[in-house]
Amino acid sequence: MMKRMFCVLVVLVAFIAAAPAQSATFPEKEVQIIIPWAPGGATDLIFRALAVSTEKYLGQAVVIVNKAGGGGAVGYVEGSKAKPDGYTLVTAVTPLTILPHNVKTSFTYKDFEPVINVVRDPAMFLVRSDAPWKTTKEFLEQAKKNPGMISVGNSGAGGGVHLIAMAFEKAMGVKFNHIPFSGGGPSVTALLGGHINAVSVSPPEGISQVQAGKLRIMALFSEGRFDMFPDIPTCKEQGVNFAMGQWRGLAAPKGTPAAVIQKLHDAFKKGMEDAGFKKNAKDMAVNLSYMSSGDLGKTMAADHEFYGILVREIKK
Amino acid sequence: MIESLQHLISGFEIATTVANLLYCLLGAIAGTLVGILPGLGPIAGIALLIPVTFGLSPTSAIIMLAGIYYGAMYGGSTTSILLNVPGETASVITCIDGYQMAQKGRAGPALAMCAIGSFIAGTLAIFGMVFLAPPLADAALAFGPAEYFSLMVCGFIVLSNVTGNSLLKSLMMAVVGLIIGTVGLDPVTGDYRFTFDSMYLLSGIEFVAVAIGLFGIAEVLSNVDQPLENLEQKVIVPRFRDLYPSLQDLKKSVGAIFRGAGIGFGVGLIPGPAPVIATYASYMVEKKVSKHPEEFGQGAIEGVSGPESANNAACQTAFIPLFVLGIPFAPPTAILLGALMIHGVVPGPMMISDHPDVFWGVIASMYIGNFILLLLNLPFVPVFANILRIPKKILLPVIMLFCITGMFTVNNSIDDVWLMVFCGVLGFVMRKWAYEAAPLLLALVLGPKLEVAFRQSLMLSHGSFRIFVERPVSLVFLLATLIFLCVPAFQWVIRKWIRRST
Repeated sequence: MMKRMFCVLVVLVAFIAAAPAQSATFPEKEVQIIIPWAPGGATDLIFRALAVSTEKYLGQAVVIVNKAGGGGAVGYVEGSKAKPDGYTLVTAVTPLTILPHNVKTSFTYKDFEPVINVVRDPAMFLVRSDAPWKTTKEFLEQAKKNPGMISVGNSGAGGGVHLIAMAFEKAMGVKFNHIPFSGGGPSVTALLGGHINAVSVSPPEGISQVQAGKLRIMALFSEGRFDMFPDIPTCKEQGVNFAMGQWRGLAAPKGTPAAVIQKLHDAFKKGMEDAGFKKNAKDMAVNLSYMSSGDLGKTMAADHEFYGILVREIKK
Repeated sequence: MIESLQHLISGFEIATTVANLLYCLLGAIAGTLVGILPGLGPIAGIALLIPVTFGLSPTSAIIMLAGIYYGAMYGGSTTSILLNVPGETASVITCIDGYQMAQKGRAGPALAMCAIGSFIAGTLAIFGMVFLAPPLADAALAFGPAEYFSLMVCGFIVLSNVTGNSLLKSLMMAVVGLIIGTVGLDPVTGDYRFTFDSMYLLSGIEFVAVAIGLFGIAEVLSNVDQPLENLEQKVIVPRFRDLYPSLQDLKKSVGAIFRGAGIGFGVGLIPGPAPVIATYASYMVEKKVSKHPEEFGQGAIEGVSGPESANNAACQTAFIPLFVLGIPFAPPTAILLGALMIHGVVPGPMMISDHPDVFWGVIASMYIGNFILLLLNLPFVPVFANILRIPKKILLPVIMLFCITGMFTVNNSIDDVWLMVFCGVLGFVMRKWAYEAAPLLLALVLGPKLEVAFRQSLMLSHGSFRIFVERPVSLVFLLATLIFLCVPAFQWVIRKWIRRST
């Protein structure tokens, strides 16, 4: 009995002793980032660019693996079950805090350790340039007079921009007719063709149409103005008290050693500050917004709470 | 018109620099390889190579990445014809007659006609793009959920009996396809359907796994099912004069290629799985206009050259909405959109005026790329055709290996491989009782789109079905479907009436 106890103790000590040794030499092989969406989306592209710019600071290759399906659930399950050694990361994006409320999932944000936040996208409503409303207030008045008659497209049921549109409607006391599409592209197309009245999007979706004057930004839900369109006032500036956006960062499976997280955080932070990456982000109209591991964790917890209340109200 | 030509000439100046020619060649080679490997499609190919292009100019980068997309359309037919394994989704239909041709020792003409047809159709589609892009892109916008639904219904009814053997069996297979197409995330509520708490089913039934299983694996199993002597004797040695198409093959294919190009160009403008629909439609049309419809399914060359031309035209046309509207209608163009943005070129209404060098350079490179692909593919025809000389006892395990590794690369998922194997067994049983795989695959592609369009339409109309008949474009498609369904009934009534009156 004593002998067995001793063995267990030895193994435990060996593990504890080995842990810092492991993180001291980290990374010894390539680091993998799981993206729970198909290639080509906004999250996929920006992290592909970040992977390239971070490699030289990490000293190892950063490989992107797409695990699409189930509105992101497939990739997150895979990420939460991965070995917590820092060699497998996932992109932590707003839907991580929405999905567990919407459907039965085996994970929540608590199954992940936040590493770093990279992007914060403002959300906005776009309308056709020939739409009768000029300001956010006019748009809302119309919505108030005709509940359920203004159709608002979104990029997918239960996705970030869908819930932001719902939160907006709730905060303003109006009712929209929400039409889900499979992706931001199809929803913007339907708006261009005049099949719906407005669309809820995150940049870069619809940006080129706004630049060409075919679409207008009807309501901008960010705290500050949008770099690309400095003339467009935010909702708050127009006296409509509403601001919401989506974040995109990196997280590791629960239990990843803090020292490893710190190393990853530092490397990706340098990758974010790399001139080449900054140019890529600017070209894609992506709004870079650094947050430390701790701050990303707080944001995830707060949004988990917020979307939980919202989803429960919708499902009622 | 003149202005477009001038721009095009300056585009050729950009595309014919040594560096850009090299990138075009690289893209074409990568595309052909990606097309040949079953499973691995243009999406994965482009995604893998985007980081490689970071140091390049936007024009060179897009020239190379676009080459992968249309190059894959050339390569996709190779395994369909030789091994009955669709190389990518748009080559499913090519399996039907292409494989039969190969079994008769005529793999060479089939492969060569694919390359020639793809070249002609691709080039025609680029011409269409140069002169008609802006008005066509606006026309595509007229398609809202209601129009899209009616078009899908029309396509579904008309195309589901594509092989024309038994309408009842085809419809049964189509319904099976519709049913398994509902598995996964509900597109309107975001809930999970028919997933039985399985992680794997969350993302729905993977089309590629079903396609490779029903065609490729089932083919291997059917071969194994033969008596051993049969298997050992049956080695196909193509005669030298059968390596390239005869004059008769060319004559038969000319019409098919031009019709295929037209169909592909039209369908390519519609959002969704355009190349797949275009190939089914082209096959259907060829069978209808053919003087020998009984040859279809037995190795009719029009059944290969038509659809292969159509998918190439559709894939070129998919660049119109991408460049002119900035909106990707198909997944491979979605990833090209991302690639453009990463290089600081925002596709959309302003692209032609803001970045004329990229736009016209890439268009010009497509002419060159299609020519390179023709030169690249034709010399390999004898090489590929001779693959069939390998004894089956070696070839069959190699096909299995090929299918399994190819399938795994699509989603890095071992479950996909199991699904493929299961579908292989299913396909084997289906063949025994003469059930066709093509209608099932069409339904699996169209079903989810059909459902989304239907529910979106009803949400927009607040539950009123009148939206489908009040919108003119939608009404036209529904009437066309009705006529198509009624014609056989009318024919029957009239024939009966004539018989009685005589």
